[in-house]
Amino acid sequence: MTRRIIEHTADVRLRVEAASLEELFREAMLGMFEIMSCSAGVSPAFENVRIEIYSPDRTSLLVDFLNDVLSRAHIRKECFEEVRFDRLTETELVATLTGRTPARFEQDVKAVTYHEAEVRCEDGVWSTVLVFDI
Amino acid sequence: MDKKNLERVSDQVWQIPKSYRHDMRVPARLYASEGMLDSILHDRSVEQLVNVATLPGIRKYAIAMPDVHEGYGFPIGGIAAVDPDEGVISPGGIGYDINCGVRLLRSKKMLADVKPVLEKLARSIFREVPSGVGKGGNLKVKGGDLDHILRNGAKRAVEMGYGEAADLDHIESGGRIDGADPSLVSESARERGHDQLGTLGSGNHFVEIDRVNEIYDEEEANRFGLVRDGIVIQIHTGSRGLGHQVATDYLRLMTGSMARHHIRVPDRELACAPFRSTEGQQYFAAMSAAANFAFANRQFITAGIRRAWSHELRDDAIGIIYDVAHNVAKLEKHPGIGQVLVHRKGATRAFPRQPVLIPGSMGTASYLCVGSEKAMEETFGSSCHGAGRVMSRTQARNKISADELRQRLRNMGIIVEAGSGKGLVEEAPEAYKDIDAVIDVVHGAGIATKVARFKPLAVVKG
Repeated sequence: MTRRIIEHTADVRLRVEAASLEELFREAMLGMFEIMSCSAGVSPAFENVRIEIYSPDRTSLLVDFLNDVLSRAHIRKECFEEVRFDRLTETELVATLTGRTPARFEQDVKAVTYHEAEVRCEDGVWSTVLVFDI
Repeated sequence: MDKKNLERVSDQVWQIPKSYRHDMRVPARLYASEGMLDSILHDRSVEQLVNVATLPGIRKYAIAMPDVHEGYGFPIGGIAAVDPDEGVISPGGIGYDINCGVRLLRSKKMLADVKPVLEKLARSIFREVPSGVGKGGNLKVKGGDLDHILRNGAKRAVEMGYGEAADLDHIESGGRIDGADPSLVSESARERGHDQLGTLGSGNHFVEIDRVNEIYDEEEANRFGLVRDGIVIQIHTGSRGLGHQVATDYLRLMTGSMARHHIRVPDRELACAPFRSTEGQQYFAAMSAAANFAFANRQFITAGIRRAWSHELRDDAIGIIYDVAHNVAKLEKHPGIGQVLVHRKGATRAFPRQPVLIPGSMGTASYLCVGSEKAMEETFGSSCHGAGRVMSRTQARNKISADELRQRLRNMGIIVEAGSGKGLVEEAPEAYKDIDAVIDVVHGAGIATKVARFKPLAVVKG
């Protein structure tokens, strides 16, 4: 599993690689919160948050999943640190999130874009690029 | 894409012909000086402009301004006008920060009055106008009250006591876009935005106190009440989390509906729907509601600045010169073309004699220009929106230290009140293009002409 920030003039471009689709989704979520730089927590891990997402294909599913998590993070002022997938297919996922409440986020992520996103698997390595609107 | 793909139309205009790529429906036009081309071609902005030229219903040209830089979907600094009956509306042509824009205020105070209390003023504005990532304010608006804001924008803020009726005469569209439908704004969007009215946010958003340091057009400057060494204040922010969520919601909707409308785009972020379709009309009404939220936000911030001014200078006589949206889509009538839906993403409307507000970076300068007939003929009445980034945020953080930057700005006589050192360095002057060169292009092309130049005295940001 790797994630690496690549240059983008105005926003943030992240390249993620993983050994499975599930790991790719997890790594992308952790990468997003790394960009947001959650400061030290003011509360311990909180209760599980269950989410369900349906999308037309696996790339849209990843972007929609991240945007759903991002929206919850902004509304609940929470930083998610773990995700457990109860179901993950090409077009739907059911997952449970856990995390904590940070003192603040250092960096705003307005949205996860579909720009350049393409979930692919080559030689057993799952990868995509994601551009985050900052 | 390299220089050999560009055809020179004039000293400021370059064209990428339709033949460059088989899926282009119209040529693309770039406003830039020859000296800017290497820098502009360094990132993917011109390829993104070519992608815009493939949108169904696009008229005349896909256009980029000299502050263009890489975005997602559209480049930042991109303009596309589409036929409302045959064409599409694309949330990626507006951006996530719907109605991000600039408001320019004018104080009756002069440089000599303000200078002795500048630090106090900056601190006072920092207190009155909350800033920072996801930061909420004291004003929490929900339910029916939020619906009023979404429907009526700055007008509702004035009705609530945040400003005067005369303020509305100096805001694009009177601070209210018709056709907004609050019922099409999701609960998530409402929750993200309900406590963010009157707040700046983070990133490149700011309040800046400036002095007028140069006047180029005395007649127009008089019209706006500007004199040399007079004081103006700029506000740069938008629709905050509410707008971000509206864009996210409708991009997702359109991604799912494109196949049904038989639309294919070269970049998923250009997801779109026919303007007259249900999805197109719903997005337009929700986008208008978010745009109204942004107009109201800048009105509440203006009230905060007036309070700070009153506290430190015993004077709240601050007027609005103008307020422009630079991330929005609008139905407009254009000569020889008729009605078009103009997408402006990081581009400012520049109708004849309309004030065009173009902020530079925090250490350089900003400009007030006015729009022209030439802009109506060439750019669907549009001009640039700022200096435009040239350095990535990562590069800026690696190269510049917050302490060094604060000291450098202080040595230039510029006071900074910023919540985040990281956020500050990302917006350092060297991360942006030369604003004077950008303005020379739009002035030289005649699409927006120079009225006055402002130099920063104090910068307040998240």
